[in-house]
Amino acid sequence: MARTLTFEIFRYNPAIPEQKPQMQCFTLAETANMTLFIALNRLREEQDPSLVFDFCCRAGICGSCGMVVNGRPRLACQTKTADLPERIILLPLPVFKLVGDLSVDTGVWFRDMYQKTRSWIHTKKAFDSDQEEERMDNAVAEQIYELERCVECGCCIAACGTARMRDDFLGAASLNRIARFALDPRDERTDQDYFEIIGNDYGIFGCMGLLACEDVCPKHLPLQNQLGFLRRKMGITALKQLFRKSSCAS
Amino acid sequence: MSIHATMHIVSPSRRDAYFDWLQMLTGLGLVIFMALHTALNLSIIFGAKSLDIVAGALEVLHLDTLAHVFVPILFLVHFVLAARKIPFRVDGQLAIWRDARLLNHRDTWLWIVQTISGMVILILGAIHMWTTITAGAVQAASSVARVQSSGWTMFYLLLIPLVQGHVFIGLYRIGVKWGVITDKMRPKVVKILVITFAGVLILALLALARYATLTI
Amino acid sequence: MYTHNTDLLVIGAGLSGERIAVEAAQAGFSVICLSIVPARRSHSSAAQGGMQAALGNCALGENDHPDVHFADTVKGSDWGCDQEVARMFANTAPIEMRRLAHWGVPWNRVVAGTSFYFKGGEKFEKTEAKEKAGLITARSFGGTAKWRTCYTSDGTGHAVMCTMDNKCAELGIAVLDRKEAIALIHDGQKCMGAVVRCLRTGRLETYLATATAICSGGFGRLYAATTNAIICDGGAAAMALDTGLVPIGNPEAIQFHPTGIVPTEILVTEGCRGDGGTLLDVHEERFMHIYEPQKAELASRDVVARRMLEHIRAGHGVPSAYGEHLWLDIRHLGDEHISTKLREVDEICQNFLGVDPRTQLIPVRPTQHYTMAGIRTNKTGAAYGLKGLFSAGEAACWDMHGFNRLGGNSLAETVVAGGIIGRYVVDYLKNTDLCFSSALVKAELARQQERIDDLMASRLGKENVYAVRKDMQEALTEGCFVFRNAQGLQRCVHILEEVLDRAGKIGLASNGLGANHELGAALKIQGQVRLALCVATAALARTESRGSHNREDYPDRNDAQWLNRTLAYWPQDNRAPKLEYEEATPYFEIPPGDRGYGGGSIIPADAEKIAAKTMQNQE
Repeated sequence: MARTLTFEIFRYNPAIPEQKPQMQCFTLAETANMTLFIALNRLREEQDPSLVFDFCCRAGICGSCGMVVNGRPRLACQTKTADLPERIILLPLPVFKLVGDLSVDTGVWFRDMYQKTRSWIHTKKAFDSDQEEERMDNAVAEQIYELERCVECGCCIAACGTARMRDDFLGAASLNRIARFALDPRDERTDQDYFEIIGNDYGIFGCMGLLACEDVCPKHLPLQNQLGFLRRKMGITALKQLFRKSSCAS
Repeated sequence: MSIHATMHIVSPSRRDAYFDWLQMLTGLGLVIFMALHTALNLSIIFGAKSLDIVAGALEVLHLDTLAHVFVPILFLVHFVLAARKIPFRVDGQLAIWRDARLLNHRDTWLWIVQTISGMVILILGAIHMWTTITAGAVQAASSVARVQSSGWTMFYLLLIPLVQGHVFIGLYRIGVKWGVITDKMRPKVVKILVITFAGVLILALLALARYATLTI
Repeated sequence: MYTHNTDLLVIGAGLSGERIAVEAAQAGFSVICLSIVPARRSHSSAAQGGMQAALGNCALGENDHPDVHFADTVKGSDWGCDQEVARMFANTAPIEMRRLAHWGVPWNRVVAGTSFYFKGGEKFEKTEAKEKAGLITARSFGGTAKWRTCYTSDGTGHAVMCTMDNKCAELGIAVLDRKEAIALIHDGQKCMGAVVRCLRTGRLETYLATATAICSGGFGRLYAATTNAIICDGGAAAMALDTGLVPIGNPEAIQFHPTGIVPTEILVTEGCRGDGGTLLDVHEERFMHIYEPQKAELASRDVVARRMLEHIRAGHGVPSAYGEHLWLDIRHLGDEHISTKLREVDEICQNFLGVDPRTQLIPVRPTQHYTMAGIRTNKTGAAYGLKGLFSAGEAACWDMHGFNRLGGNSLAETVVAGGIIGRYVVDYLKNTDLCFSSALVKAELARQQERIDDLMASRLGKENVYAVRKDMQEALTEGCFVFRNAQGLQRCVHILEEVLDRAGKIGLASNGLGANHELGAALKIQGQVRLALCVATAALARTESRGSHNREDYPDRNDAQWLNRTLAYWPQDNRAPKLEYEEATPYFEIPPGDRGYGGGSIIPADAEKIAAKTMQNQE
């Protein structure tokens, strides 16, 4: 206990382009049950009010505070300093556009993703307020919720080798979104419809299986299994088309 | 923010899907071939005679000719397909390198090992295939003589670990990518693969040592 | 100058804001939603428990009806709510839940067969009917007659927020994040939009709109200990108050949650107690049944919060480095239950405390949790004082909660009120044309730019914004918490008046350029302190105890004098709020009575007056 923590923090304010990006050191006395939320706010309020970082719920629910902590993308609010060494290096998430210091623009990236994946229930049925709701098996509802737990923190995208190399790669969060709708009986889209979105190298076939997404996801979403499931599903969809075509031709 | 009016991000071509299947299937084909190839070579451990018996049996079944025709094709197709994923521009290479260093994440490092070993295998493997295919029927005497001639021991000392590593990493990668290995199985499978890899590598190097030291 | 034009401007893209946006967009109007954070990070997503709606599908919700829900809501409000609004809410809630199911919310569903549940630490059996299997189920939640709370595991707010935001994406609604409204544009009659600071670049933008809806959530961050997200800072409510025309309804009506973890004050859901979790004291013994023999841990939240503090004051608290607390015990619920139904609680304990709730006790104490207070609107969601300004959700005092909100009613309110008010907004848009004076817009923009320039150049003083904010939070926490008395409140008001002076003399320590946080905090601090003064002043004025407003010196609910709603205005250039009062409800469907818990006696209102206002039902 009573360690003195050294924070090395990435600093860059795009509003002052003539200043070059740099690492800045801060020191702070550790207190009991300290998380990076407590530490960073103390640094801003007591040492440098120009420090930029994002927190919102500070309870690991909203996904605002994704940052690279000693090499790993993770949620700062649920990172206890007690679990870290005395020297703590903080970097913004790569891939996303930098807002300033540790803050990156996940908002625009994800809104764009909703359009790419058509992230909503596609149904021709209209809502009828007099009708009883359509029934659903509770187990199915729970499976959907399991995938819906994504908080869009961007850690899986920032950790993804493919996303680092090509910025048009959809990434685990987007593919998981497709898996969520593919599972939902209310969504009338067919495998062929999903194939048109993710059946290519920007989508599921671009995934190289590096599994950093699985290993860094702060919500422990079953990304590895979902990516495998989608690859099989989409692979089979393509084969089916192939055979359908050839049987038509013959 | 403007809303994109495009209906789909790309045209619904199935090309990438077929490529992905082919990459996996050629990889799997090469894994099976390598398993047989390694088994054949291990017979040298029991002496020149045992190798000649196994090789003879293969010849009777014309498996050697089959391999001589199909393995180079698999080899090349697999390379071309897998290479699609390797960044050929420097900034891409730097990005993945930095990513691996920053993350220090096992599976990301393994992928880098995979691409580098793939490149080296492309060259060394091609040389190996050319010499063995042009040499005609496999016989202990000629193989031993070749390994013992200048530089060839070193050549195989480099090639064998790279190929075995590439095979095992590749097998693991196919497993996780296609969901055969689930998240729950992953730690156990990794353990099994590492142990098997170590065992196979030791045996393969033992076989190489026999080639290098056998007198006929 | 960045100027945007739209039919509807929504400030705050949480559940209620996006629900209104959806209604307007479906009617063909253009909508822009502004949010400080990406929409799905809104505080709505933090609500774990669920949404109350009288669907009556599950076994223990059988024969539930909006009438029963309405009665629970009115009783819960301690008769402080607007009964017309509460009725609209209770009747619409079931339809809205089914609509959400249609839009994609993965509600938990009824599973036929026999299962067990815990109540007050005891195990009971229930049997779900076969013919109900697959319909939206519900669970028990603080202080209701029936199991009525629809849920998706323990992430209801998150799941509904995802669906609502997906709906917005489907409809092509422009949801812009990192945009903070700092001032309303109005001419004293009509609201025409807002001046907005872009939190990416720091630049000011103007958004002009026929209708503006403030759906910015509560203002818990006026307190030092709160379960609220850090964006729930009252900036938008203060912006409305700042017009001098729009009042805050019942500012003293603030709810405290019994179970915030110590020290980070993260909420652990009431679902823990609903599912059978118990509260223990320093001797690891249950105590709630001593105070509330009937409901024990399941009593309504202000009662539980109040009893917990009472028990701590009686010397039974657990000492710790962060002050005294109590224990929450869910060990007996078992691994499977904790890993599935209470997974988020489990994660909170592991991630923020390093505690395993299967084997260890969770340190908890009451914290600020919910503001029934808010921008006063009529039943259509239209704010008092300015045409074209609407408000919904926790930001508003619509007023279905009165002086105490039931667990699960607030999350339900976001979508139910959003839907109802959305339809009124559509009516307004159909019948109104936007006309605005560009001079007015420019003047407001210039005024805001000047404020920024003053702060950046420290022209008005050198006060540190974080120090001022801390003093405000501590004053309110000290003097205006769960229990209040005249002495404490007077001191609180006095301190806040001084803090207000200092809030006018802020100067930035940093350069304030770009996405600067200090500037954002400095721009709203004065408004926040004014809001805090409204809370304390109204609490001091209300000499009774009602719902969450507990006066130690006035323990009785005084219907003779205080069956009304506070309206706190802040006239331009005033140093203190101006309090007015209005009738709590246009009529009584249920005349004032005892809500059956919480203690304290009732000083009845004039029986004739009540009778005259009471509906003659079943004509």
